[in-house]
Amino acid sequence: MTTFRAGFALPLEELRDEFDRLWTSLTAAPPLHGWGVRPEGVFPAVNVRETADAVSVEAELPGLDAGDVEISVTGEELLLRGSRPQTEPAATGNGEAAEAAKVVWHRRERGTGGFERRIPLPVAVDPAGVEARLVDGVLLITCPKAAEAKPHRVEVRSA
Amino acid sequence: MNQQAVMNQPAGTTPATDVAERPAALTFQPNVDIRDLGGEVVFTADIPGSKADGIDVTFEDGVLTMHATVPPREQAGRPIRQEYGIGNYRRSFRLGDGFDASQVTADYARGVLTVHVPRLAAVRPRKVAVRAG
Repeated sequence: MTTFRAGFALPLEELRDEFDRLWTSLTAAPPLHGWGVRPEGVFPAVNVRETADAVSVEAELPGLDAGDVEISVTGEELLLRGSRPQTEPAATGNGEAAEAAKVVWHRRERGTGGFERRIPLPVAVDPAGVEARLVDGVLLITCPKAAEAKPHRVEVRSA
Repeated sequence: MNQQAVMNQPAGTTPATDVAERPAALTFQPNVDIRDLGGEVVFTADIPGSKADGIDVTFEDGVLTMHATVPPREQAGRPIRQEYGIGNYRRSFRLGDGFDASQVTADYARGVLTVHVPRLAAVRPRKVAVRAG
């Protein structure tokens, strides 16, 4: 009954692979604990805040080094681009090199690969003054408002 | 999600199942990768915004628990777009027996927590050489 045994084992393998594929496609952009209006499949999630003289954009990018993310600002739009590296499968705690083929994934929820996101800004900003810091997987971008977008205080003269 | 975990479970290996817990307000479950390398099981969790000394990893009675406190961040101005919340992280997995609790190690870098849970030497998979008679 060679055929039976092969036929019995393979569909299970295939089903498992199929679930893996499905799961990977569903989690290509990790479902961050978000609320709000982020459309499905958009990575990374961002929080945007506005003060009197700056717009700040915060994004959670765990696993990235500063060199893995590219930020460009044009007037009223911010472009976030980068790539999240694959988890290194061969690194083991005790120095043994694991064979990649023998690694069994029990769960794969963290997305990997390239991402690109355009974030509209509420006002025009000064691209030259934009600063960004990536600390412990949290990216904070501070965009000073363009001079013409800052609130202009008008003195009221008494007659 | 449970279905997927079951499907990924090859016969004879230890399941890494979620342990049901009621999360407190503003405690999130991190996204986790779990890889079985044979000699150990490696957990990789996305925990942005924490610090190494704010993270507790315990392995007790076959249950691995990761808990991370995330300090509040500066929230100046008014929100324009709010797509995620900021809070602590907590998640537990039941691993069962056969692991060496004293050898569990954890590292935190770039907002990612990596936990290595080695198997006891006695239960590690061993390749048996077949001798020709």
